[in-house]
Amino acid sequence: MKVTNPSIRVMVGTQPAQTAAQGPAPEPEREVHRAFTPPIDIHEGPEGLTLEADLPGATENNLFIQLEDNVLSLHARIDLPVPEGARLVHEEYYVGDFYRSFILSDDVDREHITAELKNGVLRLLLPKSDRARSRRIEIRS
Amino acid sequence: MKGVNWHERWDPLRELQREMGRLFDSIDPFQPQRHVRQYPPVNVYDAGESYILSAQLPGVAAGDVELTITGETLTMRGERKRSEGIRDDSYRRQERPMGRWTRTITLPDRVESAQVSAAFTSGILTVTLPKAENAKPRHITVTSGS
Repeated sequence: MKVTNPSIRVMVGTQPAQTAAQGPAPEPEREVHRAFTPPIDIHEGPEGLTLEADLPGATENNLFIQLEDNVLSLHARIDLPVPEGARLVHEEYYVGDFYRSFILSDDVDREHITAELKNGVLRLLLPKSDRARSRRIEIRS
Repeated sequence: MKGVNWHERWDPLRELQREMGRLFDSIDPFQPQRHVRQYPPVNVYDAGESYILSAQLPGVAAGDVELTITGETLTMRGERKRSEGIRDDSYRRQERPMGRWTRTITLPDRVESAQVSAAFTSGILTVTLPKAENAKPRHITVTSGS
């Protein structure tokens, strides 16, 4: 299976489409009905933090990542995987929205956050800012 | 004022189903222990001509899932591997379920097992199971016996 893996733009600051009156919800036309907290993994590497979130059903078109001040939020709007009119006969998960927000420390280089989405998993790379990188201090004799 | 929201129609039967499920959960004394959720979570829809099964399998590629169907029983199995090359002690948080999984689902009716198709898109496995001819609702003409 060929999976296209385009990078997702991380919005920095408030989106222009969203005016102050509408509050923090990224989409103005539909309110958040049920939002589920997606499970995440965070691991630290030499370059920074990697955050992976399980967002089954999320695509580049329905996933919104936003960085406002030091809060990074993800919001995915998931549509039903079946045609209209199909009747639910057995339910183990609710089809709805995913939402989760994180507070970034000042050690994250906000300008260089990258995101990729593959098979319903979002991977966010949060690079360390230069200030936070460990630096070797030369001792002169 | 937004008016009627047609996106999420109020379905009293679905609400009732959900409420009853919640009620039964609440009177079950072993509920905390039993709350180990089955993996992957599966929804089944009746689309008239066929059943549609959807399973949440993020991070799994199409080739990593094995599907078998015998009569009315559908078995799915696969493995979800953690990313390689990451030391365990570098994890700050680990919430995502990983490992081998198997699920067997008994379908409500007979299906045409030869015509079952499956698709994988953005972490959701969708299996379309056409109903067997004799399981479809049939229209019976009533003739007057005069």
